[in-house]
Amino acid sequence: MIVGGPAILLAIAAVAAFGLRKRLVVVTWLGLGAVLVAFVLVSVTPVETTDRLLDLELRATGLGRLTGLIILSIIAMLLIDVYFDEPAYNFFPTALAAGSVTLAVLVVASPLVIFTLVLVGSLVPVGSFTFQIHDNHSVEAAVRHFSFVVLGGSLGLGALALSASLPKDQPASTLVLLVVLLFVAFALMLAAIPFHTHAALLAGEAPAAALALYFGVIVPVTFIAFVEILAGSGLLPAIVQVAKVQDLLLGIGLLSAFGGALLAAGANDLRRLVVYAVISNLGSALVGVATLSGPGIIGGIAIALVTGACATQQLLAAGTLERRAAGQRPNVTDAPLAAGAFIAGGIAMIGAPPLVTFPGHFFVDLIAYSVSGSAGSVLVGAAVLVLIAQLRAGVRLFAGSPEGWHVEPRPVAGILGGIILIALLVGGITPDAFLRPIAAFADEFLKALRPL
Amino acid sequence: MIYLGLIALTTLIANGATRLRLIAVAFVGVAVAAALIASATASIAQTAVTASAGLAAAGILFVAARDMRYGEDPGWRLWLGTFTAAIVTPIAYASFRTITGEATALPLLQDGSGVIAEVSGVWLLSSGVAVMLTARSAVRVSLAALLLVTGVQLLARLVPEPHLAVTLALAWLEVVVALGGAFLIVNERAVLDG
Repeated sequence: MIVGGPAILLAIAAVAAFGLRKRLVVVTWLGLGAVLVAFVLVSVTPVETTDRLLDLELRATGLGRLTGLIILSIIAMLLIDVYFDEPAYNFFPTALAAGSVTLAVLVVASPLVIFTLVLVGSLVPVGSFTFQIHDNHSVEAAVRHFSFVVLGGSLGLGALALSASLPKDQPASTLVLLVVLLFVAFALMLAAIPFHTHAALLAGEAPAAALALYFGVIVPVTFIAFVEILAGSGLLPAIVQVAKVQDLLLGIGLLSAFGGALLAAGANDLRRLVVYAVISNLGSALVGVATLSGPGIIGGIAIALVTGACATQQLLAAGTLERRAAGQRPNVTDAPLAAGAFIAGGIAMIGAPPLVTFPGHFFVDLIAYSVSGSAGSVLVGAAVLVLIAQLRAGVRLFAGSPEGWHVEPRPVAGILGGIILIALLVGGITPDAFLRPIAAFADEFLKALRPL
Repeated sequence: MIYLGLIALTTLIANGATRLRLIAVAFVGVAVAAALIASATASIAQTAVTASAGLAAAGILFVAARDMRYGEDPGWRLWLGTFTAAIVTPIAYASFRTITGEATALPLLQDGSGVIAEVSGVWLLSSGVAVMLTARSAVRVSLAALLLVTGVQLLARLVPEPHLAVTLALAWLEVVVALGGAFLIVNERAVLDG
C-alpha cells in the first residue's frame, strides 16, 4: 500500500473531484491538496521498496520517483492554469485520474498491467478534449484520438499477451511479427509519424490545457512505459537477435524525428508547432532506445521527460496568447510574459545548453552517429528544422514595436513558464540528480537485453 | 466448438445492428460468450469480474443511446468486418499456435487447452479492427473498441501473469472504454442535433 499509496490517493481525489467538479474553488483546492500529498508520499517512499496489491508486485524505482515528481508538478501547474485562465470543470477529475493512472504505471511490475494502465491513461483525457462543440471540431478530434488509441492499445495488448503465452524456442518470424505489432501499437499511441493524424487534429481543436495534459503527462509516461515493457516482457533478447526489428524501431524513430520537425517548420499556428515538435523529440527518443545502448536509453528517456515539461510550458503560453488575441494572430502585445514563456519553452524544446534538455539530445545524437552516420545526420537535421520552426514562430510573435506591450492582467502562463524555465536551468546546472535514476534504469534495461 | 460459433454469431449480430441500443444488447451476447469461453481457464471470481465489466459496458452504451432511434447503419461494412475476421483468424492462429505445435482436439463445450480462447480472441480483435477502420461515427467506434477489449481479455487468459490483477485492470479498461465511447456518442449527437 505504501508504494501504491499516491496513485490510490489521486484516484480517490479524482472521484471526489468528479462529484464536486462544478464548484471550481473547492475542486481546485481539493486537486492541489491531493497532488501535494501525493508529491510528498512519492518523495518519501524509499527507492527499491516493494509491495503487493492483490497478486500484483509493486516496486518504487528511482526513475519512477523522478517521473512521478515531474508529472505531479506539471499536473499542479495545469490545475492552477485552468482555475485562473481557462475554467473547465471537466478538467479537474480528468487531470487527477490521469495522474493516478500514470503514477500507477510507474510502480507496477507486470508488463500487461502497465500497458492496460497506459491505455486507460490515454483514454481519460478524452473527457477534457471537447469544448464549445457547436463552434469547432473538437468532438471529431476526440473520436479520432479515441479510435487510434484503442486500436493501438488493443493490438499492443494482444501482441503482448500472445508473446507472454508462447512456449520457448519459437521461430524468429513469430517473434518478429509480435514485436512489430507492439512497435506499431506504441507508434499509434505516441502519435509517431505516420500515425500522427489524430494528434494533428487534436492540436487544432482541443483546449490548450487538455493538450498539455496529454502531451506533457500522458505521452512521456507512455514512452517510459514502452521502455519498461520492453525490459520486462522478455522480448529484448529476441529483438537483439533479429536486426530487422531493431532497424524498424530506428526507422520509426528517424521518420518521426524528421517528419515531425518538417511539419513543425511548416506549422501555421503555435499549438500545432508545439505538438509536431513533441512528435519530433519523441522520434529522437525512440532512436535512442533503438540503439539498445546505455547512452541511447538514458538520452531517450531524458528527452521524453523534459519534452513533456517544455510542451506544457509552450502549450499553456500558446493558449493564453490565443485567448488574448481573440481570433487575431497571437502577438506579444497581448501577453508579453506568456510570449516570453513560449520562447523559453522553444529554446528548451530544441535541447539548448545549459538547460537540462541538452544532455538527452546530446547523448542520442552522439550514439546515433556511432550507429550510422546517416541516422545521426537525420537527427541533427531534425533539430535544425525544429530550431527554424521555433525561430519562425518567435519572429511572428514578436513582430511590431515594444511600445504597445502591456503585461497581461493575470500572467498565469507566464509565471508558470518562468517556474518551468528555472527548474530546467537548475536541472541543467546539476544534471547528475536528473540523469542518475535514468542511468540506473538503463542498467536494468541492458541486463534484460543480455540475461546471463 | 459451440462457443466459437456463439462468439462469431453474437459478433455478427452486434456488427449488423443499426441502432445503438440493439448494439448494446447484442454486445451483452458477446460478453456472455466470452465469459463462457474464459470460464474454462479462469476462476469463478475472475469470470464474474469480466462478465460484470461486459454487462456494465453494454449498460453504459444502452443509456447513452437515450432512445431507440440513434445509431449507424453499417451497410457493406458489416461484410467487410466479417470477412476480415474470417480471413485473419486462421492466419493468426497458424502463426501463433501458443498451446502446442501439435493438432489439438476441440471439444464441443469446455476447452481447457486455451485454443478456443485464443481463436475467439483473435476473431474479436480482427473484427474490432475492421469495424474501427470503417466506422463513420462514435457509435461503431465504441462497438469496435469494446470488441477489441473483449478480444484482449480472452488472449490475456493464456498469460502466466498475475491473473487477478490483469483481470481487474482489463475490466476497468472495458468500463473506461465504454464511458469514453458514451461520452463521445452524447457529444456527437448534440452536434448533430444542433
